[in-house]
Amino acid sequence: MVNPSINEHGGKLDKLQLIAVAGLMFIGAAFVYSATARTQSSTLPWFDWMWLRQILWYVIGVGTAAALGLLDYHKLARWSLVIYWLTIICLVAVLIPGIGSTNNSGARRWIDLPLFQFQPSEFAKLSFILAMANFLSRPADELKQWPVFWKGIGLMMLPFILIFKEPDLGSALVLIPTGVVMMFVAGTPRKYLLTLGGTVGILGVLALGDILFAPRALQLPIQDYQRQRLLVYFGTSFAEAHATPEQRAEARALQAKSSYQGKQALIGVGSGGLLGKGWCQGSEAALGFLPAGAAHNDFIFSVIAEEEGFVGTCLVLTLYAVVLFTGLRIAGQARDRLGKLMAVGVVTLLFSHVFINIGMNIRIVPVTGIPLPLLSYGGSSVLCSLIALGLMQNVYIHRKGY
Amino acid sequence: MLIVDELKKNDPQLRLVAAMVAAGLVLLLGGLWWVQVVSAREYQSNLQTQSTRTVRVPAVRGKILDREGRVLAESQARYNLSLYLDDLRGQFDQAYSRLKKQGLATQQQKIIRDEKELHRHLTKVEQKKYAFTTKDLQWLSVEARWSVATNVTAGLSQDLDQPVSLDWKTFERSYESRLYLPFPVLQNLDTAQIARFEEHFSPDLGANLDVQPARFYPYGTTASHLLGYVSEDDSSIEGEDSYFSYRLPDYRGKVGIEGGFDAVLHGRAGEDEVEVNNYGYKQAENIVEPSEPGENVVLTIDLDLQRAAEESLASHQGVDARGAIVVMDVRTGDVLTMVSSPAMNPVYASNSPAFLTDPKLEPQINRALYGSFAPGSIFKPVVGLAALENGLDPNQYYDVQPDPLAPYHGCIYIGRRKIGDTVPPGEYDFQRAIEQSSNSYFIWNGLHVARIENVVRLGEKFHFGEKTGLLKGQEVGGDFPTLDQVRSWGEGEQANICFGQGELTVTPLQMAVAYSAIANGGTVLWPRLVAGIEPQDQTSGEVATNFPSGQVRDNIGVSQRSMKILREAMLTETEDPAGTGYPAFHQHDSVLNLRVCGKTGTAQVQDIHNQVISHNYWFASFAPYENPKYAVVVMVQTEGSGSGGSICAPIAHDIYAEILKKENSQAPQPVIAAVN
Repeated sequence: MVNPSINEHGGKLDKLQLIAVAGLMFIGAAFVYSATARTQSSTLPWFDWMWLRQILWYVIGVGTAAALGLLDYHKLARWSLVIYWLTIICLVAVLIPGIGSTNNSGARRWIDLPLFQFQPSEFAKLSFILAMANFLSRPADELKQWPVFWKGIGLMMLPFILIFKEPDLGSALVLIPTGVVMMFVAGTPRKYLLTLGGTVGILGVLALGDILFAPRALQLPIQDYQRQRLLVYFGTSFAEAHATPEQRAEARALQAKSSYQGKQALIGVGSGGLLGKGWCQGSEAALGFLPAGAAHNDFIFSVIAEEEGFVGTCLVLTLYAVVLFTGLRIAGQARDRLGKLMAVGVVTLLFSHVFINIGMNIRIVPVTGIPLPLLSYGGSSVLCSLIALGLMQNVYIHRKGY
Repeated sequence: MLIVDELKKNDPQLRLVAAMVAAGLVLLLGGLWWVQVVSAREYQSNLQTQSTRTVRVPAVRGKILDREGRVLAESQARYNLSLYLDDLRGQFDQAYSRLKKQGLATQQQKIIRDEKELHRHLTKVEQKKYAFTTKDLQWLSVEARWSVATNVTAGLSQDLDQPVSLDWKTFERSYESRLYLPFPVLQNLDTAQIARFEEHFSPDLGANLDVQPARFYPYGTTASHLLGYVSEDDSSIEGEDSYFSYRLPDYRGKVGIEGGFDAVLHGRAGEDEVEVNNYGYKQAENIVEPSEPGENVVLTIDLDLQRAAEESLASHQGVDARGAIVVMDVRTGDVLTMVSSPAMNPVYASNSPAFLTDPKLEPQINRALYGSFAPGSIFKPVVGLAALENGLDPNQYYDVQPDPLAPYHGCIYIGRRKIGDTVPPGEYDFQRAIEQSSNSYFIWNGLHVARIENVVRLGEKFHFGEKTGLLKGQEVGGDFPTLDQVRSWGEGEQANICFGQGELTVTPLQMAVAYSAIANGGTVLWPRLVAGIEPQDQTSGEVATNFPSGQVRDNIGVSQRSMKILREAMLTETEDPAGTGYPAFHQHDSVLNLRVCGKTGTAQVQDIHNQVISHNYWFASFAPYENPKYAVVVMVQTEGSGSGGSICAPIAHDIYAEILKKENSQAPQPVIAAVN
């Protein structure tokens, strides 16, 4: 398919969304630079400069999205199950020592490729949206059958469990709202969703209570650092009820260590004030209080907030709002339920990322390692965000169907 | 709104999703508003606290100069060899990763060894017991930096050809709390060491010299009591910030000029702000407030005279002699010399504690100001003046009776108490009584002609028993009876005053003031020790302060006739062969071209059982007779026998000799000239 034919369909692109996306990419490049350029070693070769790599990923991402935009999303949907199972294989592979590589805390999230580390969980989010949209685009009556409902849940839980095993709780969790919202929009009976929501809610509260208050022997088998982050978020003491003074001191030290990143991110955001300190003038990242490994990816928002202040964060939120609402508009204008569900899935996924990431920077949600779409440094994340946006544009381009 | 209109058309599900997205974004916006606008101050101060350290930088302490501008005390650069930990950071990191690699290799070997024993692969859990714990890693980094630091210091030892030691504990403490400051490994380098270091220096050494001011006294113990000393004290003075992360070493004056004029000398400390990173390494530095240097204190002391007096005292009585000397300009009240012996080292720490606390030597006491002693016969001129003013005929003879127990000595009976006299019995007029220092003559005439009340009245004019105000808190006023006291006394106690004993003590400085008054025609001056205060940097444009000289405190109100009689009598003390001071001034090779009026004195020091345990010997004098300019008071405490004439007068003689030498040489005019 070539360009003239797109015009013929009256397609074109959603320009407003593209402007917002371009704005976000510009901000991303500028602040990855600010977060890394001042602390990186002066002997670092140019091809290892983070901000340059980030721009490279933007280029690759835009290219890939454009290429996918040329294909009709229906064709993609036909391959969705194949893509889904390929991703599942990757997610299984990453758990196998020798294939998946670990980070400092021992989580296996990456597959080392010659040029970069490939993070299958990011791609899993995309293929899940595609597969789920394809699955849910069946006739609305079928959605009223329990087996179909449970199949949908299964489609969601399989990658969830695999990502949870890595462990990467944040990435796993965003699958839930994405899947549930898609099911809701597709027309799954409210009764089913309420039953599901109620069950999950009760289980969640029980799990949280267990994590926060239960003695060690009765606790759920989650990672220590995950438990600690939750304890920090809820301000619960690390020490157990009958701890000795030494244990208490140790627990206090551990608590200070665990809450450190979140605290520094918050100081960064808060000290930006209304107008900020100016680009490359912030000190949280430059002085290393915000750890060098986190400032340019999970905590990039703190760097932006410190240097550009409330004005800057409002601009970022506005750009995201434009992307999200134009996305919902695309969903409304979509030719069919497949397109609508794809767009809604992408919007929910992006929104979950934005909400959780910014939320953890201002301590609304616990600290989880989840990137801010388009702004955080990282090839997989940038690539997936851009492909997701490309899919949305694809839905827009082909909105007038025949 | 385009987007909203579109959504309205659509199904309710999408509208609900849009509402939830909007709610989420509004929640974030509210959160950001709260954190960035409402609480911004709090977070800004958090950031400030964790990323800046303030360092108190002491000001350069002012100099102490003599009247001709010669330096008696100054701050000099002291060079320390220090490790610059921020420069060593790269090496620390390298050493750390090397150690970690070694550790991992050992772990692997252990695992392989175990696997061979068990003939199977170890499980993850089994492997884990060999893995590094957080504590292990912490120890690795401690070990790494310690090995780098010891390596660097070993290299320095070799370069300097001198052992450079490193204390693990202080190094760790410094690393943990003061990474942003240089860490001294070798203090107080001499010039040879500095040259050696410069020869081997390279910028990536991680070590460099850093400068610290230290107090330096170019003339050693000269005028040590007068100058006083400083001690390390980095506390904030009034008007300075009271909180600093770190204080560089600073000094505060404790006694003497260093103590009394500390506020002037000290200046005002500055403040440096060091920006540190999360490890505490220095990132940037800026001077928040520059230090203001202290001002110089210019003394009235003449260094040549001061040294001559000290040398003379030491050569006649030994370096451990207990004594004091004051030389004063009788016209202006300027203290030209103030000696207290034994001297202590103004670098306080270099005095041995045993010496400092010696109960007999009492080297910490400035005897010229803080020691009060019975004046003995040098008080007789005061009694003599009181008698002359109250009708004493200086030519009338008084018959000194022989002591029945020692017929060659005179004596006088006060009631039933016999007071011995050192002079032989016979006829004494005023001049002979002064010249030979007859107790009987002055007791008789003090009690019966002058009357004791008038002696006290005159003494009050001289301001005996009162401080001269020279250095606040470092002076005593001595003891002098009030009129009421002497009226209540018996004749025996009154008689004691007449020959300078009993309830009467004076400081050598008070005697110098009194003899200056006798010399200058009756004016009691406020003594002056500090001529002025000037800025350290003469080009700074700050104004120097001069303290006026010749400030009149009182006038003794004695007729010139009486003064003339007294001065003539005191002249015979050194000029008549029978005078007690004559021998000192008439050694065959030491006759001065100067006529000196003097008075010797000997006061007995008794213990609680009234046993004489030692003597205070005095020689108080002024010269030249024709036109007096200088008063010289010498006091020596000793157990040895002698007299003021044999022990103190030779020292006064040496001082006068130095004065003549100075007057005759074509010395340049003093910077701050004595004005009158």
